[in-house]
Amino acid sequence: MRRPLLGAAGLLVVMALLEALPRAGLVDGRFLPPFGTTARALGAQLATGGFWTVLGQTARGWALGLALAMVAGVVAGMVIGSVPVLRAATASTIEFLRPIPSVALIPLVVLVYGSRPESALVLVVYAAFWQVLIQVLYGAADVDPVVRDTARSYRFSRWGTLRTVVWPTVLPYAATGFRLAAAVALILEITAELVIGVPGLGHAIGVAQSSGAVAETYALVIVVGLIGVVVNLSARAVERRVLRWHTSVRRDL
Amino acid sequence: MTTVLSVDALAKTYRSPGRTVEAVRDLTFDIGRGEFVCVVGPSGAGKTTLLRCIAGLMPGTGGSIHLDGTAVTAPPAGMAVVFQEYGRSLFPWLTVRRNVELPLAEKGVPRPARRARVDEALDAVGLSDSGNAHPWQLSGGMQQRVAIARAIAYEPSVLLMDEPFAAVDAQTRAELEDLIRALWHRLGITVLFVTHDIDESVYLGQRVLVLSRSPTEILADLPIDLPAARDQLTTRASPRFTALRAQVYTLIQRAKAGER
Amino acid sequence: MIRRLGLPAVLIGVWWLLSAGSTSFFWPPLSVIARTFPATWTLDPILHDVLPSLARLALGYTIALLAGVTLGVAIGSSATLRACCEPALEFFRAIPPPVLIPVIALFAGYTGWTSKIITIALGCLWPILLNTVDGVRAVDEVLRDTARSYRFGRLAVLRHVVLRGAAPRIVTGARQALSLGVILMVISEMFGADRGLGAAVVQFQRGFAIPQMWTGIILLGLLGVALSALFHLAERRLFAWRSDS
Repeated sequence: MRRPLLGAAGLLVVMALLEALPRAGLVDGRFLPPFGTTARALGAQLATGGFWTVLGQTARGWALGLALAMVAGVVAGMVIGSVPVLRAATASTIEFLRPIPSVALIPLVVLVYGSRPESALVLVVYAAFWQVLIQVLYGAADVDPVVRDTARSYRFSRWGTLRTVVWPTVLPYAATGFRLAAAVALILEITAELVIGVPGLGHAIGVAQSSGAVAETYALVIVVGLIGVVVNLSARAVERRVLRWHTSVRRDL
Repeated sequence: MTTVLSVDALAKTYRSPGRTVEAVRDLTFDIGRGEFVCVVGPSGAGKTTLLRCIAGLMPGTGGSIHLDGTAVTAPPAGMAVVFQEYGRSLFPWLTVRRNVELPLAEKGVPRPARRARVDEALDAVGLSDSGNAHPWQLSGGMQQRVAIARAIAYEPSVLLMDEPFAAVDAQTRAELEDLIRALWHRLGITVLFVTHDIDESVYLGQRVLVLSRSPTEILADLPIDLPAARDQLTTRASPRFTALRAQVYTLIQRAKAGER
Repeated sequence: MIRRLGLPAVLIGVWWLLSAGSTSFFWPPLSVIARTFPATWTLDPILHDVLPSLARLALGYTIALLAGVTLGVAIGSSATLRACCEPALEFFRAIPPPVLIPVIALFAGYTGWTSKIITIALGCLWPILLNTVDGVRAVDEVLRDTARSYRFGRLAVLRHVVLRGAAPRIVTGARQALSLGVILMVISEMFGADRGLGAAVVQFQRGFAIPQMWTGIILLGLLGVALSALFHLAERRLFAWRSDS
């Protein structure tokens, strides 16, 4: 009972500070309006249709990119992970390719797609894909060799082995990959909107900022933060559901 | 014999909103310098509570504890604790030597003296050759030896041991029992040894304190009149050992039944 | 080493062959890109674009590391403080770091070093901070008791128990922060039309200098790989006690 109260108190302190600092003149109100002003701007935003359109664009880009990355990551991970030769050959390559920053692709997607949603989609899929792939590979490596041998001795088909032996082991790892990818996908979606101008919340923030609509800028940042919280919490809930039966110790990267 | 550790009417009640648990009701006993005293009790007898209070890790809610005449309110300088969880009480990132040395460094022992004491302690537990290993490279029994070396190098007035051998295999356990007897004999240290193992308490101690069920009191304070030179085979086979063992066993059964 | 680089080498070979006869404007042959590379990244852009970018990254990252570990230890050590901060931290952590750029731009525009360093530092702060909090919480109770019973001072507990015990999680956070830092380094420069690695690549793209743009993309990739290798090295040194040394 104490913890939620303390947490709420902490949030209230943050809001109070955001209200008091500009009012007391410690921070220039032109750059950081009092929290009340931001909250009113947020309320006004919620009442406009344009806001919901923009929100929908961001959500669609994020969900589509995440879904594609999940499918691609799980399929690639299961295939690579269950073929020893492929696993050995790709181990170093993946370590090699993963650190390549996704934003390096920004100029390329701008050239090819301009500020259409496809630009964001490429970045989102690229960045989220690695998160999923790596987790699925951990999962595939975690398949109990005895179980694998049992399946082989009973002459399970390749597909049968994948479905009944590999997949159940991989699933919890895929769930962790999903949680990590969901957060990364949101970051890249917003980044693409902000930097490239793909329609969505990030773009709206950029427009609000450059047109001097300070309170609106903060209101939209708060919205993006809240979306992030919702994404994190629900991804964690999904992961917990999948992990319920899974007790082995796993490394979270 | 002078008293080193004196526990007087110690009580401990855990209080949390809506729940009060009386763990220890009234414990009173003295330990003389150079004594080897075992504390044994049924599971849930508040052994760990007692030990944590004596070690100064947790305040009691009544009564007092004195070490060398000074009231214990925080971990006192003259006490060293060997925990059951040997794997978790060693600093995994330090070598065996550094594990033994660190408390001495913290105590302000100058470097040359520190080095000599570490060598001596490692030698005493038979780990002279493993000083540069890291704990994970050692077996469980050897890890517990490191913890013992660290404790004796600290040169405490009282060595507290909290079920130190509960998590090692039977053979290692016998070895470690003999080791601690030998160290006690040779170094003249005072040992308070908490265990749930009746045989172990009789085999090791000069006195056995039998605890009642929680809320804990002392059920019996039993002198162990076995000869000082003990040995896993002959001592455990002697009729006197069997008789004492039976006595403690009966007391524990009565404790479990709720007698106090 | 040969095995480590085997497949990347094959992939590069495939790229080389497939792009060999390419006349596509967007996908120049790799051989052309390779020839453009030394001509593009001469001493001048290295001194005025690459090194300043790296310096800003290093500064911002270091600030985040110091602040994140300090705050994380403080928050992780107190249950009350943790309960107070948790929802607020949960919120700030969820804000995608690039969003910081327009907010910081409100205050002082978005030119010069300070705004970019602040962006990198603020973005890198959260993964380090949150992982430190978790790491400090997870420090073994028995180890804490051991340190207390041997009367370790506060500083010794911090140094020998808390920081060492939390180190694995701190390193996890630092690794996440590093890749985030590279991202923020690049886009902070794309946003503010300054010099810098990110700005240079965008200028190539805007000027339709396609092979040059590709060299920039490759340079960014190599940078990411090099930083991650450097991190790996540091990690191995820090955790040398875990393996035979």
